[in-house]
Amino acid sequence: MKHKFAVLAAVLAVASVLCWAAESRESTPTIDPVVQGSEKTNTMRLEGEKRFRTNCGRCHAAPHKFPPRMMATIVRHMRVRATITEDDMRLVLFYMTQ
Amino acid sequence: MARLVLHFALTAFVVTLLWSRSVAQTNEEKPVPIITGAAGYFTNVDAGRTELIPEINPVLLIPIGDRWLIESRASIQGEYERAPNRGSFEGYVEKKLDYLQVDYIANRYLTVTAGRFLTPFGIYNERLYPIWIRDLQLVPLIFPIGTGSSNGILFRGGFPLSAGVNINYATYFSTLSTVNEFESSRVAGGRMGFFFTRPRVEVGASWQKELQERRTNSFGAHFAWQPPPIPLNLRAEYARSHFGSGYWIEGAYRLSQVSLWNKVMRRTEFVARMQQTFPGEDKPTATDEYQFPSSSVRQPDFGLNYYILDGLKAEASYSRWLGKHNWNTWTVGLAYRFAIPLGRPQ
Repeated sequence: MKHKFAVLAAVLAVASVLCWAAESRESTPTIDPVVQGSEKTNTMRLEGEKRFRTNCGRCHAAPHKFPPRMMATIVRHMRVRATITEDDMRLVLFYMTQ
Repeated sequence: MARLVLHFALTAFVVTLLWSRSVAQTNEEKPVPIITGAAGYFTNVDAGRTELIPEINPVLLIPIGDRWLIESRASIQGEYERAPNRGSFEGYVEKKLDYLQVDYIANRYLTVTAGRFLTPFGIYNERLYPIWIRDLQLVPLIFPIGTGSSNGILFRGGFPLSAGVNINYATYFSTLSTVNEFESSRVAGGRMGFFFTRPRVEVGASWQKELQERRTNSFGAHFAWQPPPIPLNLRAEYARSHFGSGYWIEGAYRLSQVSLWNKVMRRTEFVARMQQTFPGEDKPTATDEYQFPSSSVRQPDFGLNYYILDGLKAEASYSRWLGKHNWNTWTVGLAYRFAIPLGRPQ
């Protein structure tokens, strides 16, 4: 019984450390998909396409683009299902909603 | 003392989770609930017996706020066979709830899932199983090892370790359930994978411990590679448990670089897979409980897929079972992926 408590406590401790680590790195600049009509937009689009092919192509053929709000749901679903990273998710969403 | 440590860890975890203010998804596009999934119709000729298999697997996705997602998938599958000495096909419809889960995206490192979820063991169950995704309709022979659905809690995430390496992990606990359509075993386990983004190589390993009855362990390893210059998809899995072990290795090549009849070729995919299983210590469990071969089997599979439209795929395959007895399995069918918004999609 003690072993079970120890394992559960260890899992929770690791999860807590991960949350804390995320909090401490929150100041990391995030990619803002709102930026439009600039060189940065083109760069993000290209990077988004690259991440899309790298991540989504691991499992399935590339789908056509869906309307933006549908795409936001699908990308969130894929983030959970395929454990893609947050940056990849943002860039793929940016590319798929252009 | 152990209980005190557990209470402390639990409190610390909840406080950290609530305190965490990192933004999960700040995009300006508010997600809308959707129904997606796949429908298909397949005809199998298995050792001379013809089976008709219509199926639909609807997936409901309900996003809530920036961090929450409720998701569920049902499986409704018919199996019809021609009755002996009769002309008509007879059969049944099987209905299952594959998952019904609530996801909380706590931060860039952690997503917490509670409810009924697909057991994260290897890559096939979670990522390659949907009929519109899988390259061959017959699931691998080792699929019963470690997979299925679990009821409990799951911690998972994926984040970059460096510029060219992403790590992904999943760890879970599932409780025993004998409730009809919600069956699960009491197990704990985890999976970890590394994705090397430049060469597009993924390697990973899985582990599962049964916390009931035989208290056995299962292990798995997976590999995937999409070499960037060519439209080739290579995947492999190995799994081992008390009732058996085995592997499969599969290559799928899209003929898009063939210049002859390119309009047709770029939609065509050739698939080849080799798989092998070995019986374990517990042969009765293998056959009765898991439908796993109780003797050594080798099975080469070959398939041809044609992508008619986005989401619509025609496919045909041939498999040869090489065990104590040998037979052929032919499959032909159509798979369609759909997505319907349950609100304004723009």
